Amino acid sequence: MECQHVSYQYPHQPQGLHDLTGTFPPGQVTTIIGPNGAGKSTLLNLLAQRLPLQAGQILLDQQPVTQLKPKVLAQQVAMVTQRHQLYDELTVREVVATGRLPYHGLLQAVPPAEVTPYLAANGLTDLADTIMQDLSGGQQQRVWLAAALAQEPSVLLLDEPTTYLDVHYQQVLMTQLRQLAAQGMTVIQVLHDINQAFRESDWLWLLQAGQLVASGTPADLRDATLLARAFATPIEIVDVPQLGPYIVQIPQ
Amino acid sequence: MTKNSGWWYGGVIVLLLATGVIALMAGTTWLGLPQLVQAAREPGSTAFVTVFSLRLPRILSSLICGGSLAVAGALFQAVFRNPIADPSILGISSAADFFKLGGALLLPWLPGRNWVMAVVGGLVALVILTSGRALADPYRLIIVGVALDATFVGLQQLLSSGAAQVSHSTFNGTTWADATTVLILGILGLIGALLLAPWANYLKLTDSALKNVGVPVNVIRWSLLLLGMYLAVSVTAVVGAIPFVGIVIPNVARRLVGHDYQTLVPFSMLAGAWLMLAADTLGRTVIVPSEISAATMMAIIGGPFVIILLQRGRGFHGMSTR
Repeated sequence: MECQHVSYQYPHQPQGLHDLTGTFPPGQVTTIIGPNGAGKSTLLNLLAQRLPLQAGQILLDQQPVTQLKPKVLAQQVAMVTQRHQLYDELTVREVVATGRLPYHGLLQAVPPAEVTPYLAANGLTDLADTIMQDLSGGQQQRVWLAAALAQEPSVLLLDEPTTYLDVHYQQVLMTQLRQLAAQGMTVIQVLHDINQAFRESDWLWLLQAGQLVASGTPADLRDATLLARAFATPIEIVDVPQLGPYIVQIPQ
Repeated sequence: MTKNSGWWYGGVIVLLLATGVIALMAGTTWLGLPQLVQAAREPGSTAFVTVFSLRLPRILSSLICGGSLAVAGALFQAVFRNPIADPSILGISSAADFFKLGGALLLPWLPGRNWVMAVVGGLVALVILTSGRALADPYRLIIVGVALDATFVGLQQLLSSGAAQVSHSTFNGTTWADATTVLILGILGLIGALLLAPWANYLKLTDSALKNVGVPVNVIRWSLLLLGMYLAVSVTAVVGAIPFVGIVIPNVARRLVGHDYQTLVPFSMLAGAWLMLAADTLGRTVIVPSEISAATMMAIIGGPFVIILLQRGRGFHGMSTR
């Protein structure tokens, strides 16, 4: 997946994206980092076609995503958002089944057998008939991930996927994303924890005020001056035994 | 689907059959079972006329109307994601009623006039309801709907003032012609609702989540909205506006058989049919030889129900989830 001169401007708001050009390497975990309001979520929403592209192009396998039919796009790109809302009761099985909708006609039911493997693969078999609203935030997050994976996407987008997870499950999720990437999936996520981003990614995009300041491997971007400028705060990179380089913000 | 869904389905079917038999017997003259059997055997007898020309069309009409209104309510609640959304409270039914009256005054030659005008009225109200920001804001939706309802009721009173007071929204005097119209329109709509019930489940997800899985949200939303409107205004066209069935039944049904629209829609159909038949039968038997109209009966039952529903803390935002 790649962006060519992508711009987006919210109506009546200063925030937006300005002329972004860059690639998301296939089969790797790319994390978008940057300060609040830098446009991270906006970029993710544009990649998912949740926001209409105003200028530039987003290419998927050399093809502009705007030319893809919604259903075809849904077979290629899946998204796990930061906050999921349900207006009414749905069971875990029903939510995961929505991930199979791109493969069926509007009036066709999703066969239960098609959903079972995704429940099993994400440890949700025992919760299959539980109502979503009865689950913890972390469990719900797992269900939404399972639904996204049921789309069999080649690109998986995640907006701050660790928000509702405890440290253990954060690590479980990061390992799972690594495995998915190893199987060829392009994983693109937004993370706030900068050290987690550096530790768990193959590739990084650093955004600031709607612009792509830098992109590259974690080693490329591990530069205190660059990060200090982007986050507008003094930053130092210290060496922590057993952990390696660690980015710390220096109190002013 | 809850564990007891099967029992509740069984229960409502038994209630329907029992109430149906009572409705055939009860009225200004009470006909016992032997007399009913005799009526069936002797075409032309007084009992035959009472049962087959007066009571049966009325019973069938109220069954279909009740089912239609309950399902229309369930569909509106799914589309607006609001547990008290319903064509009667949002002004759809009163708009249909007003246009029906307008049609009678201005276009008396129009074929299928009542239904055509009721559909036009329903569409006008739907467009007003969905054109602003009411779709995204549950409070605004209800307030706009109530204002719309009051406006059309007022306009209708303006049109009908001076005219002889016609008895509105009652099954009294339902003929076989009325019953046949209701039966055809209602059954077509109800079959549509059974087919599209899974779509109502999709709308439990946000629009953006649906777009992410390639589902055309607007196609689904408008199909269900138009179907709900069609069901509600078809009742208005033949009988008149009847309030609250669409709020009371789906909300009780959610408690009994769960929130899955594939179970909820058929159950609402049966329960709505029963409630309407029960209300009408009660209305025409408690103060014989006079009677209380179905709309009045439903206002008496439905008004307090909605107050209790909202006072017990169920919000406008989303359905109750235990």
